[in-house]
Amino acid sequence: MSDLCHTGRRRALCTIAAIPAAWFGKPTWAARTQSISSRQRLICIGSAVTEIVYALEANDLIVGVDTTSIYPDAARSLPSIGYSRTLSAEGVLSLSPSQILCTEDAGPPVVLQQIQDAGIQIRRLPAHHTFTGVCDRVIAIGQSIHQQTRADQLKLQLQQQWARIEDAMKAKPFPNTTPRVLYIHSMNPSQVMVSGQETNANAMIRYAGLRNAMDGFRGYKPLTPEAVIVANPDLILVTDQGLQAIGGRSQLAHLPGMERTKAILSQKVISMDAVYLLGFGPRMPEAVITLHRQARALFG
Amino acid sequence: MQLQIDHASLQLGNKLFGPFNFSIKAGERIAILGKSGAGKSTIVRLIAREHQLKSGSILINGTSMNQYSSAQLSRIRGVLPQNTQIAFGLMTDLVIELGRVTAPNKVNQETIVMQAAQMACAEHLLGRTFNTLSGGEQARVHLARVFAQLWDANDGLILVDEPVAALDPGLQYQLLSTIDRFAKERNHAVLAVLHDINHALDFERLLLVEQGRIIQDCPADHGALVDLERLYGIQLEHLRDSQGRSVLIQVHPSGIYP
Amino acid sequence: MRQTASHFDYSTWITRLGIFFIGLFVFLIAVNFGAVDIQSADWLHLFSQQNGYEGASYVLWTIRIPRVLLAITVGAALGIAGALAQSLFRNPLADPGLLGVSAGASCSVAIGIVMLDGFRFIPTEELRVWAIPFFAFLGAIAVCFCLDYVARVVSPGSIAGLLLTGIALNAFAGAVIGLCTYLANDEQLRSFTFWTLGSLASARWLMVGVLIGALVIGWAWIRTLLQDLNALTLGENIANHLGVDVLRLRTKVIVLVATLSGLAVAWCGMIGFIGLMAPNLVRICLGSDQKRVIPYSAGVGAILLVIADTIARTIAIPAELPVSIFTALLGGPLFLILLRQYRSRLN
Repeated sequence: MSDLCHTGRRRALCTIAAIPAAWFGKPTWAARTQSISSRQRLICIGSAVTEIVYALEANDLIVGVDTTSIYPDAARSLPSIGYSRTLSAEGVLSLSPSQILCTEDAGPPVVLQQIQDAGIQIRRLPAHHTFTGVCDRVIAIGQSIHQQTRADQLKLQLQQQWARIEDAMKAKPFPNTTPRVLYIHSMNPSQVMVSGQETNANAMIRYAGLRNAMDGFRGYKPLTPEAVIVANPDLILVTDQGLQAIGGRSQLAHLPGMERTKAILSQKVISMDAVYLLGFGPRMPEAVITLHRQARALFG
Repeated sequence: MQLQIDHASLQLGNKLFGPFNFSIKAGERIAILGKSGAGKSTIVRLIAREHQLKSGSILINGTSMNQYSSAQLSRIRGVLPQNTQIAFGLMTDLVIELGRVTAPNKVNQETIVMQAAQMACAEHLLGRTFNTLSGGEQARVHLARVFAQLWDANDGLILVDEPVAALDPGLQYQLLSTIDRFAKERNHAVLAVLHDINHALDFERLLLVEQGRIIQDCPADHGALVDLERLYGIQLEHLRDSQGRSVLIQVHPSGIYP
Repeated sequence: MRQTASHFDYSTWITRLGIFFIGLFVFLIAVNFGAVDIQSADWLHLFSQQNGYEGASYVLWTIRIPRVLLAITVGAALGIAGALAQSLFRNPLADPGLLGVSAGASCSVAIGIVMLDGFRFIPTEELRVWAIPFFAFLGAIAVCFCLDYVARVVSPGSIAGLLLTGIALNAFAGAVIGLCTYLANDEQLRSFTFWTLGSLASARWLMVGVLIGALVIGWAWIRTLLQDLNALTLGENIANHLGVDVLRLRTKVIVLVATLSGLAVAWCGMIGFIGLMAPNLVRICLGSDQKRVIPYSAGVGAILLVIADTIARTIAIPAELPVSIFTALLGGPLFLILLRQYRSRLN
């Protein structure tokens, strides 16, 4: 019996304590938050959400953001709860939020469950990589923070902007065939992926009036030299952050299979900020027209 | 115990060993001699159940050895191995104590360990870590372990596989006589694989092994001289020492005595 | 011998009490550190107020304490599993991974996430949260038993054969994982990668209870095997001569390692280093007697993991870092320091 030693004893004590206590009803965390202030305390997860809240001029409600919320600059100085996919329950709760607004990639599910069990509402706002999705986000956020009027105004603004952009793109189409674009996603040199169909990058490429050079598959797949050579894209699209991760434009040209592509041979590479290009926030229309204009500039 | 090996043969890779035919009576002391690779250790390993028989049988007290469980066998048969390395650095006390892992009653365990160590001249090694001992010291601890294993058994069998190879001459005789004394006290049989002919002469019986077969089974005295010469391909000379005991000396090839 | 025996006893109890108090101390400190500020009033709240905790008491009860307890139990489970694996393979570099536990768990989680599309067929989110741990555990157990069976058929009666079979199965599992990784879409890939990092964030009282149960039952069983494992240290052949049924011992150890390690991996993903380091640390300080190594590995494993997890969740508040970083950062240098001391003691 003495061999059941220290660990057994400690555990026995805890089990004894746990059994009766664990049978009691669900406690709530919300009570505490209410006692702090009657004002809203928002946590924004995902750059799009943060940007929309800023656009609705409700940024003073924000008490915490994730690591992708880098625009506007002021958002960078807000408390960071880390990477959106690896949240910490305690970390989030320590900011005493009244509600949480997040994009579709917040996680892990267990932590979200724990936060919800604490009585904090989590509002998931997917955009499905579409412009209508962005408008839906704006309206949904407006509802959540009781700024419906401003949200309606913002949505109207965006729709008008979108209409103007569509007209502009139709007015001046590409002279020859539509350029075929390869989007490269590279967060580190050893893991370089390319975008197929049904991704955020693919949506932006299509909206900008371009074509995705990779059309045989869905999602992101590792870069393979033969596939790149066969696809032979006219244009390479990357993000600033991705480009930096692999060591700049010169390194981009040295990726397997890239050297012989039309894009590299004619040096047609476009790089944009990741969050700006793929965030699907209020700057999305602007990003579409920027991409279109830069491509136009390269292809006459 | 009565051990009977009947037409036992086994195959290791390409080599065929056997058929072996011999029996061991309670309390008998047998030495196995032969050249390297002849199959001496194979016989011991066969009885220690480290190899499977290809044909034939091994009977212990009339029952096939395969009918005995490992635990049952361990109470009547002890094995002193050639290789003494162990994985982690256990204390020598524990190593000796492990001899009694299947002993039915664990009373007096400490006393038995102590006495077994004393008998194996390993008492001064208690309290040390096994891996810090020399080859000879490790052999003694293993011997103490075997003693502890068969301490309260009678008519058992001790299998010994070239135990004294790494020991200095003084220690060699000491160990062999210790095994002898221990075995005589409890009427254990001893089956030992040896290299030194004169060590073997202290036993009762000799088994001479050549190319996987037993070529001679004879009493251990100077009468085996001719067979030994043939076995090793050397010349031997029979002498008597100051106490009148028989000694066989190898004649140096050039004719000068060693 | 009498004198030595009582001296032994004295130091053994000092060591046990020492580890117990260190453990208790570490537990109390760990429970007090965290993103949410917990005060003594909140502790009182815990014991006085019976239902409807408020504020920090909620975090303490629902999140903090279960997490620290999970760290203790998982650390203990990994420590024991590591010690058992090392005693089975008679090698201080062995760990449960060699028996295919991590490979099996990863493989089935990968299949679950990719082929079954993240268990979307399960209707409620609440139930879905249990899907991955369940699959991981099944995978771990399945591979271990498969390993035992294949090893029995391919190389009966040998532990070296087990090792080689383990390597082969690990390679096969790796291939399946590679295939799943290739077929995965972005979200699935990230989901899987996150799981492999290892995290104690999903601590719940139920899981703590299950682990405690497994440890108690497991320990009751292991106690009967300790001396046989010591005999195994002398070598497979010698263990056989001494009457130990090595094949059955092997199966029992595999079951124990699979269960303890499988539960740990299932709930927390891959947390490295504990299973490897804890037994080695214990061996350097207290010798290689399994009667000591295995229980103390549980204690050392628990303490290591609690410390690592506490640092992981407090160093970048309000964010959290992967716990494996800190198990390595703690275990490695600690081991080197002890090794130096051990060496100088020998000289």
